[in-house]
Amino acid sequence: MTILKKLLKRWETFLVLFLILEFVVFGAANPKFLRPASIMTAVVNYISVCIITLFVTMVMIGGGIDIQVASIIGLTSIIEGVLWSDAGFNIWAAVLCAVAAAALCGALSGFFVAYCGVQPMVVTLGGSFLYSGLALLVSGMSATPAYQGISGFPEKLKGNIFVDFRFLGKGELFGVPFQIIIYVVLIFFCVWLLHRTKYGERLYLIGVNKEAAEYSGINTRAVIMSTYVLAAVSAAIAGTLLTSNVNSAKYNLGSGYTLAIITAVVLGGTSNTGGKGTILGTVLASLIICIMRYGLPLCFGVSTQNLDLPVGIILVVVVLGREIAGKHMISSLFRRLKSRSA
Amino acid sequence: MANVNADSRAACTLSVSNIRKAFGINEVLKGVSISLRAGEVLALIGGNGAGKSTLMKIIMGIYRADSGTIEVDGCPVNMANPSAALSAGIYMVPQEPMLFPNMTVEENILMGFRDKVPELRKRLATHMKELDFRLNLQRKANTLSIAEQQLVEILRGLLREAKVLILDEPTSALTFGEVQSLFRVIEDLKSKGISMIYITHRLTEVFEVATDVAIMRDGVITLKGPVGEFNKEMLIRGLLPSDVEMCTGGGCTYVPVDYEHLDPVLEVQGLAGYGFKDVSFKLYPGEILGIAGVVGAGRTELISTIFGRDKTLAGKVLLEGKDITGLSTGKLLKAGINFVPEDRHYHGLFKIRSISSNTTSALLNTRAIGRVDINRKKQKQISQKYVDDFRTKIVSLEDLIGSLSGGNQQKVVIARALSTLPKVVILDEPTRGIDAGARGDVYNIIRQLKDAGVAVLMVSSDIEEVVEIADRAITVFQGRINGEFSHDEINQDSLTSASFGIVDGKVVTE
Amino acid sequence: MNIVKKLLKARWSSSLIFLVLLFLITGLANASFLSYSNIIACFNTATMYTLLAIGIAFVIMTGEIDVSIGAVLGLSASVTGMIAQEGGSIGKMLICVLLIGAAVGLFNGIGVSFFGVPSLIFTLGTNGVLRGIIYMVTEGRTIENFGGPVAVYGNMSLFAGVSLYYLITLVLVVIAHLVTTRTRRGKYFIAVGDNAGGATLVGISVLRTKIIAYVICGVMAGIAGYVFASKYGQVMNVAGNGYEMTAIAACVLGGISLSGGLGNMVGAAIGAVIMSSISRLLVFIGLPSTYDNTITGVMLIAIVVVDALTQRRAIETARRKRLLNRTESKPEEGGIQA
Repeated sequence: MTILKKLLKRWETFLVLFLILEFVVFGAANPKFLRPASIMTAVVNYISVCIITLFVTMVMIGGGIDIQVASIIGLTSIIEGVLWSDAGFNIWAAVLCAVAAAALCGALSGFFVAYCGVQPMVVTLGGSFLYSGLALLVSGMSATPAYQGISGFPEKLKGNIFVDFRFLGKGELFGVPFQIIIYVVLIFFCVWLLHRTKYGERLYLIGVNKEAAEYSGINTRAVIMSTYVLAAVSAAIAGTLLTSNVNSAKYNLGSGYTLAIITAVVLGGTSNTGGKGTILGTVLASLIICIMRYGLPLCFGVSTQNLDLPVGIILVVVVLGREIAGKHMISSLFRRLKSRSA
Repeated sequence: MANVNADSRAACTLSVSNIRKAFGINEVLKGVSISLRAGEVLALIGGNGAGKSTLMKIIMGIYRADSGTIEVDGCPVNMANPSAALSAGIYMVPQEPMLFPNMTVEENILMGFRDKVPELRKRLATHMKELDFRLNLQRKANTLSIAEQQLVEILRGLLREAKVLILDEPTSALTFGEVQSLFRVIEDLKSKGISMIYITHRLTEVFEVATDVAIMRDGVITLKGPVGEFNKEMLIRGLLPSDVEMCTGGGCTYVPVDYEHLDPVLEVQGLAGYGFKDVSFKLYPGEILGIAGVVGAGRTELISTIFGRDKTLAGKVLLEGKDITGLSTGKLLKAGINFVPEDRHYHGLFKIRSISSNTTSALLNTRAIGRVDINRKKQKQISQKYVDDFRTKIVSLEDLIGSLSGGNQQKVVIARALSTLPKVVILDEPTRGIDAGARGDVYNIIRQLKDAGVAVLMVSSDIEEVVEIADRAITVFQGRINGEFSHDEINQDSLTSASFGIVDGKVVTE
Repeated sequence: MNIVKKLLKARWSSSLIFLVLLFLITGLANASFLSYSNIIACFNTATMYTLLAIGIAFVIMTGEIDVSIGAVLGLSASVTGMIAQEGGSIGKMLICVLLIGAAVGLFNGIGVSFFGVPSLIFTLGTNGVLRGIIYMVTEGRTIENFGGPVAVYGNMSLFAGVSLYYLITLVLVVIAHLVTTRTRRGKYFIAVGDNAGGATLVGISVLRTKIIAYVICGVMAGIAGYVFASKYGQVMNVAGNGYEMTAIAACVLGGISLSGGLGNMVGAAIGAVIMSSISRLLVFIGLPSTYDNTITGVMLIAIVVVDALTQRRAIETARRKRLLNRTESKPEEGGIQA
């Protein structure tokens, strides 16, 4: 019984219930909603946000914030395009180079945050300008005009089956889109990293109390810097998948994703003061938003432009509710402990 | 002394009745009543965690009492926020200065006043002269020392011309001369009919400046009365709980340290850093070396530098002969030193993490709890061992450490420091802010360390504490060691005097 | 001489010097830039960002943030345009934008200050809600083709080529600066950001101060929305998107610290000019607009890194000096007599 009570107090439980509610409501309104293939397509369309939120969660648990990831999506995409199309690189070499470049971007910002003590919000704000600017400059190096996007990526079609580079974005394994498989793999990786390794424990401690972590001998600066590198690499992965999906490498891929990413991370229970957050929460929150963006237009005819409103309302209601409920929960918890020890 | 009836309450400038306050499960104030007449100075003394600061914050409207009343000049006042207290004529000079770091001293002092600035400036100048406090008013507050900040806070209080002035440990960072100036000002305020509540842990000050005294312990007032009815021994007795075994005057068996046959485990040679100079001493295994001195003498800076948290300017630190000067914290932990910081809230606790997470945080750089993955079983084992050894009162290892009482929290922090099995443990104010029962437990833990051959370096502002458990003691004054005391030489007077710079009746200068 | 010294010490003077340097460098690269009309144009185009920047400066000074101002601008601009389409008066427009801005500000202030929701998160939610409201109110259409007096004022200059709106904005900047640095209650904003606990102790209501800051911020964004509609005569749904980031960058460039308690309005105004001039300056230097974002990013990062390092160094140096003094000082006069 106590296990059930403990579960009920957790934020993730609320998210699961909300997700189930969405399925029930949308499914009842329009049975077409429940088609597995459509659901998977909806997730694939939102996968960039889903993947990046996993790693931005870790940045925020460490007490930081990262608003430059969206720019890195575009930067990665255009680097791959230019290297492959104009410089004649092998496509996989181009991908590797792009990911390495992204890691450097993350390392730069991470260095300023961790070793120079600059506020993360400002550094990554500057980073968002810088990396989107660089992406535009890189696209200028290509023969293809910037607004057009480089396309024609390797994809030996064999009867409508994608292979080679385009398999990443369009391929399927056992009926499940490859992108989702990658997402699931990343989820397992992040759960392991954050909840099972010493690295994750260090990260949580740093987020809760950086000074105390240093007194415990933890190398706080290296850990914090690494979270920004990981977030940047995740943006590179998302950019690669997106490029492969739409068969177009553009400098502004992913622009406008920033608020969606932060919203999902926060909805998932991560606090921007650090030390709190789980991968499960982030995944559930990303899915909740993703399903909402899929269900509302399909079942209730809401136009796609209007989707910001319900998501915004959910965020406001949820965080307000959390604060109000939080105060009650703490005092009732203490009362219970007191009566137990009396 | 117990109940003040309504008539005499009306004659009181401030009357506080039956205040109760609990933070979660922690009952800090269990029905406290005090009263003040015009021109009275009530000295409020009590150990760490007795509840003095909490009571003051309630009077000042920063906290709200769970029950009880506050009356000013006989009329009940609802202390909903500090504005209400300020309007009622109450002002508190806080224990920790709460200045605005990016503003100048003058802006800090004048913030919140409604009067005209030129007039305020004149009054400020007068008060500064009374205090004999020379300070450049245009300096930014974040460049001030703690002592200077404290004086600025006192100036704020004087400028308020409050009816009731609360001084929360006002002299903790002041030099002797500054303290005397403050006392002169207090006498002057007394004659003007201003009442004061003077919180201190320095018993000598009580007899110098107070008209009445009240002793608080564990959230209640145990003794109360005009200061003339008491002497030091009575006060000390009033401070101690009746059930804790204190080893005074040969109560416990004292096991002397065999200095003849031991080599020092830690040797500090001519160490100089920011805030101290020419520090040399030896620490032997199985001994407890107390470091006494007033706040601001440089003790915390000294041990922080030894622990690698600040830059060493000169000198060496040797651990078992190996030079560990200036090593990073991680390397020091490996070498065999660990550290319990002074302020557990800022530097010690991971408040929203579990007890086992807090206990084992220093082991993350070792294999003790796993290589890459965390071995949760081992984490629990180690945490449970310390919980059992220290008699820490917990419900479950997975509970958040924030739910424990101050004393039990401190036990967990100490457990963490011991978990790396160090040869030298540095404790900075180990019993600050914890109740008497837990304090006894902490002393036992420290004695167990001594028995196990670990060397303990203990910084403490509580002279009685140093007298209680130290084998040897050194005193730090203005950044230098000015006294070394063997076990027989340790007593209240010698340590207190040395802390204020008086050794063998002479002033010790540079 | 004292006045000059005081001016140099002010935090915004380094921003001003930076701005002047930028102009000089541009002038060196291309002498034709250094004409009066060009330089004045830099200021005129900064109107909206200046309004946004000083509004959000109030919030940032108290130690919080507001990422919903772009949406407030968008909504106000759309509403202004719609009223213009119906032939409504400018007074009506102004009242509407003021109400919108104040209402959003109040909402944000209560959520952050009273309920204690972290400001980034709460204003993020508000932003989403407002974006949705914009779409609903405008039914997805771009508001355009509204002329009349509102457009006339939008492009009107008073004297010396300074646009009417920028002049009014400058007056607001001066008022805001004087209020926050000279008046008793105006200083509360910085006090709350510098040390909220200390502010409470001296009787300042942190709750009320923060709410007022958010209301001012919202109102400024509302006015900026009106200016937007007035100047451009066309309001798309996405108007204002990302403006909050530019406003924040402007504040940072102007010497306002994101952690609160530091900075002033003049700095924010200068920062706004810098941010809005970049593309124009780059054109004169010969760099195509594709370099805009890169240069902005480099500039922003460079400035905050340098600022953080110098601040830390200054505090460290002061601390070390003070600690070193302790070991050198003799006992105070009138002190211990044995």
